Amino acid sequence: MRVGIVGAGSMGRVHAAGWKAAGAELIGVTSQFGETARELARVHDARAFDDLDTLLAEVDVVDLCVPSDLHHAMTLRAAQAGTHVICEKPIALSLADGEAMIEACERHGVRLFIAHVVRFFPQYRLAAQAAQAGQLGELGVMRLRRVSYPPRQGAASWFADEARSGGVVLDLMVHDFDYACWLGGRVERVFAKSVKMAHPDAPGDYVQATLRFEGGAMALVEGGWAYPPGTFRTGFDLAGREGLIEWDSDASESIQRSLLPGEPGTAAAVGLPLSVLAEDPYTTQIKHVHAAIASGEPFAVSPRDALEALRVGLATRASLRSGRSVAPAEVS
Amino acid sequence: MRFGIMSFAHLHAEGFVGNLRAIPGLELVGFSDDDTRRGEHVAQTFGVRWFAHHEELLEAGVDGVIVCSENARRRELVALAAAAKVHVLCEKPIEVTLADAEAMRDACETHGVRFMTAFPMRFEPSIRAVKGALERGELGSLHAAAGINHSEIPKAHRAWFADKALAGGGAVMDHTVHLTDLLRWYTGSEVSEVYAEVGNPFYPGEVDVDTAGLVTLTFADGFFASIDCSWSRPTSYPRWGHLKMELFGERGAVRVDGFAQSLTAYSRHLPRNPSWLAWGADPNQAMIEEFVASIEEAREPAVTWRDGYEALRVALACYASADAGQPVTLDR
Repeated sequence: MRVGIVGAGSMGRVHAAGWKAAGAELIGVTSQFGETARELARVHDARAFDDLDTLLAEVDVVDLCVPSDLHHAMTLRAAQAGTHVICEKPIALSLADGEAMIEACERHGVRLFIAHVVRFFPQYRLAAQAAQAGQLGELGVMRLRRVSYPPRQGAASWFADEARSGGVVLDLMVHDFDYACWLGGRVERVFAKSVKMAHPDAPGDYVQATLRFEGGAMALVEGGWAYPPGTFRTGFDLAGREGLIEWDSDASESIQRSLLPGEPGTAAAVGLPLSVLAEDPYTTQIKHVHAAIASGEPFAVSPRDALEALRVGLATRASLRSGRSVAPAEVS
Repeated sequence: MRFGIMSFAHLHAEGFVGNLRAIPGLELVGFSDDDTRRGEHVAQTFGVRWFAHHEELLEAGVDGVIVCSENARRRELVALAAAAKVHVLCEKPIEVTLADAEAMRDACETHGVRFMTAFPMRFEPSIRAVKGALERGELGSLHAAAGINHSEIPKAHRAWFADKALAGGGAVMDHTVHLTDLLRWYTGSEVSEVYAEVGNPFYPGEVDVDTAGLVTLTFADGFFASIDCSWSRPTSYPRWGHLKMELFGERGAVRVDGFAQSLTAYSRHLPRNPSWLAWGADPNQAMIEEFVASIEEAREPAVTWRDGYEALRVALACYASADAGQPVTLDR
């Protein structure tokens, strides 16, 4: 399987390693910042491409690790070129764009996978398995939290540009919206509150969304870039009629360091909530995608799932704007 | 100083016996309870004199009482105590309707007695330390909070907690008031809007009150906070539950857990195995000492009727919001 990566930022680098581990043939990398593409290509003995279309002509699968506002246009180009598409979450920044991506891939007979990687984190996977096996009984209240620090470079980062990333709601919380929908089903209504960053480098962007599912369960999804650099905490609490699962990233740190201060600014530009694992979940995800494409088996996360997570995210944003509860079904 | 406990309907009364006896110079005259079985049982177990009628306790001559009846019977007992010129420390929520709560205030004012609301978490050292940190500006201006006051269903200990007529509601009535009070205290601001998802996912068919709630409070100064008040801990949990919160401000975040100071004990001789055994200070002790001091010094107690009333108001607004499916505004 010949793979090309678009975007050589933190996710492009992580995915490239995943493809190598999966045994795929990493053909090349392209990036709007040519130097980062050349560097990533060099690391993996691949080629740097100057433009997307040249890369598409030489690969079976393209992996889009680019700002979210580019997902739609690039997916359409890749589908047209007959290339399978792996695309970072969120699927797109609007439902119409997401629908168009799904439709284009179907029309051109290529596969589309949206990288909702949280489903491949072993603790999330284990908890979901327990819930789906009925060990918790019917779910009543879920709590899902994902609070990190502002992506570095402040305002210069595309993450901080809501028009490009969708902000905390669509970039970060969409992970937990997907997970919540995976376990809870369809969301009936959403109510959300947020606080905006006082200035680009200060912690402060923080959102809470309360979800009510059609089946009666409820969830509190908490997301933010609200910590000082280096702190990234995730956690969940799944309470059902017959059981409960608690998990907190602080409580399961397998290594705790107490060292003299080293290099300043050692926090990664964009935080990843990684435990010390035999295999990082990004690699688990890429291996799954690799195997599913090779075998023709369905993906563990369908593009429709990704669209539902986006829909909940858009309902969250609509609630933030209106100050009212919003039905995702009514979001356009 | 002579003290009494009016009703042992509330489980906390059992702990208050030891708290009262630990205060030098304070005499625990007895307790009143119109439930004969409970009265005899408590008298025997704790060695406290039982009065079958509340009037008899008051006639025995007491300076102060702790009212530990069912929520919906507090007005009646507070009125009796006030008429006998006895100061009142009242369990929370102070009543089940605002009219009842107002009548209690009127009775105390008419007869010139003090009324303190029993919010013990205000006296918990970690909770107090955070108050100090906030006052020193360590977090900068305060933006948001996520509060959790989970527990198991209390009906195993006292059935009336899950009886709508006596408790006025379920988990929301029981558990939103503590964190509401702490957040009012921390911010010095009042709640202006309430949104709540309320349901009974945990004991459907067994109880007719709510067992789960996700509440969002917005304060007059823009600060917002969620409160998870659910009875979502299974009866196998190592403790009844917990109260904790994370506060987000312009300088980062602070997490506080009011019950973190505990041992994990594994023993087949303990009612829960494992058990979290508290080793920190009992906040009820400091709360009752404050009440006693307020009587001796003829001043307002640190927690007032108003504090109990505002918290009750929020709890009632939760039900109104849940009925409407939209936020409700609290007029000032």
